[in-house]
Amino acid sequence: MKSTTTKEAKAKSISYAKWGYIFILPFFLVYAVFTFYPQILTIYYSFFKYFRDGLTWIGPEFIGFDNYKALLTPTAEGTIDILKYFGNTVIMWVMGAVPQFVIALALAVFFTSTRLNIKGQSIMKTVIYMPNLIMASAFSMLFFTLFSTVGPINSLFVSMGIIDKAFDFFFCTISMRTLVALLNFLMWFGNTTILLMAGIQSIDESLFESARLDGASGLRVFFNITMPLLKPIFIYTFITSMIGGLQMFDVPNILSNRTGQPNRTSETMVMYLNNYLGVSKNFGMAGAISVVLFILTAVLSVIVFKTIDRDKD
Amino acid sequence: MKMKKLMSGLLVATMILSMVFVGCGKEEKVEQGGKTFHIMAWNEEFKGFFEKYYAEKHDDGEYYVGDAKVVWTIVPNEGSAYQDALDAALLKNKDASAEDKVDMFLAEADYIAKYTQSDLTMDVKSIGVTDFANAYQYTIDAASDTNGVVKGVSFQCCPAGVVYRRSIALDVLGTDDPDEVQEKLNSWDKFNAVAAEAKAKGYYMIGSDSEAYRVFSNNTTSPWVDKDGNLQIDASIQAWMDQAELYAQNEYTLVGDIWGEAKSQQMLDTGKTMCFFGPAWYYNFCMPNAMDTCSGDWGLIEGPQAYFWGGTWMLAATYTDNEAEVAGVMNAFLNNEEICENLVSKDLQFVNNKKVNEKFASDPNYGNAFLGGQNDTALFVELAKNIKFENHTQYDQACNEGIQQYFREYLMGTVTKEQALENFRKYIKEKFPNVNVDK
Repeated sequence: MKSTTTKEAKAKSISYAKWGYIFILPFFLVYAVFTFYPQILTIYYSFFKYFRDGLTWIGPEFIGFDNYKALLTPTAEGTIDILKYFGNTVIMWVMGAVPQFVIALALAVFFTSTRLNIKGQSIMKTVIYMPNLIMASAFSMLFFTLFSTVGPINSLFVSMGIIDKAFDFFFCTISMRTLVALLNFLMWFGNTTILLMAGIQSIDESLFESARLDGASGLRVFFNITMPLLKPIFIYTFITSMIGGLQMFDVPNILSNRTGQPNRTSETMVMYLNNYLGVSKNFGMAGAISVVLFILTAVLSVIVFKTIDRDKD
Repeated sequence: MKMKKLMSGLLVATMILSMVFVGCGKEEKVEQGGKTFHIMAWNEEFKGFFEKYYAEKHDDGEYYVGDAKVVWTIVPNEGSAYQDALDAALLKNKDASAEDKVDMFLAEADYIAKYTQSDLTMDVKSIGVTDFANAYQYTIDAASDTNGVVKGVSFQCCPAGVVYRRSIALDVLGTDDPDEVQEKLNSWDKFNAVAAEAKAKGYYMIGSDSEAYRVFSNNTTSPWVDKDGNLQIDASIQAWMDQAELYAQNEYTLVGDIWGEAKSQQMLDTGKTMCFFGPAWYYNFCMPNAMDTCSGDWGLIEGPQAYFWGGTWMLAATYTDNEAEVAGVMNAFLNNEEICENLVSKDLQFVNNKKVNEKFASDPNYGNAFLGGQNDTALFVELAKNIKFENHTQYDQACNEGIQQYFREYLMGTVTKEQALENFRKYIKEKFPNVNVDK
């Protein structure tokens, strides 16, 4: 009798935890090899002089914080270039992200509303998601052609009498940044809509019903039920969009013909980094820029997280 | 027993190790006769000629040189993308598999120095390209390293001139005859004066603010980067900036990229631009709009200042497993008269073979239909005599591209001239950490 109980106890205490670890192991292996290790290397090389001159490698030679000093030393005009490019990136991201989230939220609410019950949803969802399927570079080339001085948009504006001479959209800070924001908005609002819809659909439908029975208006339902319950998903999409936005590269790079024109006001952090990685493969400076970008992104993410999530009980 | 096992184990280990070391120590000679002939290039221009006149097309639809199948890797030049890809491939060429090994690659004047100065390219004489009797000297100079070892062969020679639209010249100058047009445009002062006349009649003198850039950049008296690694802006580049400014302000030209769509539309029959600057490959390769809509309405003159633009050099990559095939291509495009003649008569090229060029130059029946029957080869033969390849560095491509792009912002009025040059310096500093850009 006694022996059986110990056996049972033993059988009960068999731990399945190791399987859990085994199942998550592949992810951690892949993460360690393809993400963690390169990240550490990036940080490591940011303290080195390490680039190629012609076909000869120079370095790696340890130089401490010299790369960071070079990045953060103000230029003759008194600006710190890397902060200027960070500012450009944030401005262009915000210009695209604000309409992106407003419209995505509105669409997500409309599409999930049982009261509206919109027909042909699946087609619409496909259509708004479409731009995201096209490569950013192809999409940028399309806009580059559309808005060029000999492109259809200029011909249209001239023939409508809005402007009397072709306008070069890519040589004006406002129009350039607006175009970058517009492209990013077009490419990403569909994706955001789908994510937010999934979030709204996971909210218990009875809450919406009871609110409606109590006579709550649509706006009231949105602010008092949808938004509070959608918050975790909303924060997730917002922060991922921000991280993606801070790494903005292909659209402004193509629209500005790699120069960040005009006057480098459309030069983003990653375009700046990419310049260093060109012919000279300057891993030292590129590493330092990556680390600065990493720190700035982390700080911004924490700020956003704390701001949106502050009234958590 | 255990001892024996240990001993035999050790023995095997030493044997393997010794084999490894022997393998390392020996001067390696790459085994020849590779089945893949791998060529890297930045556009399709040479590929077209190569397939038309040299490689054989087999039944499988692929091109072959001997037994080796031809494989191309083509990466566009802009933003140094081609150099990036090429550098990566050459640096690992030694250990690359027979299929991936680069056998031959093409390089331009703007960056050929980087490759000729490296051990990753071969002395072409060592693989059997020895006859340079008919080649133009500048094409040899450009491909030679600092010790005078020739590392490459150009299939083109690129004296350049002004390609003008005959009907517009007739309207502006009252003549479309090349000799008379040249007489009216043979100095920059005359050229600028005619630009004003053209403007008055509603035409543009040139197609882009950097249309004549190469006239200035290939007539410099100092390199972009001096021996001590300092970036310097030559007086001739300054002269280009002044010209670009004059032309942009007076609307003698459209302001826009030299390869841009706006300029390319100016080459249509509806275009309003009188002059374009370029060598033989220019009208062949870059003026399809003109060829399609107004072929024959063009003429060629030396213009205000003699210059050259470009050239396409073939270089043999070290560790190639197709040395004989590489030498074969080089010899063919340099010395095979049949191929060279075809390139001139059918493809409007100016080849790197004096004998062939001179034959066409002195042939009274030869004329270029695109240029209204003018014998362009005769003019190029004269211009080719004066080409010198001087003051070139491995930094030229980025500098040439960068100065045009950043200076254009000043021409557009978005920045001051100082800012434009400052942005250019920043760009060069980012590209080349060891170049000193401070004034």
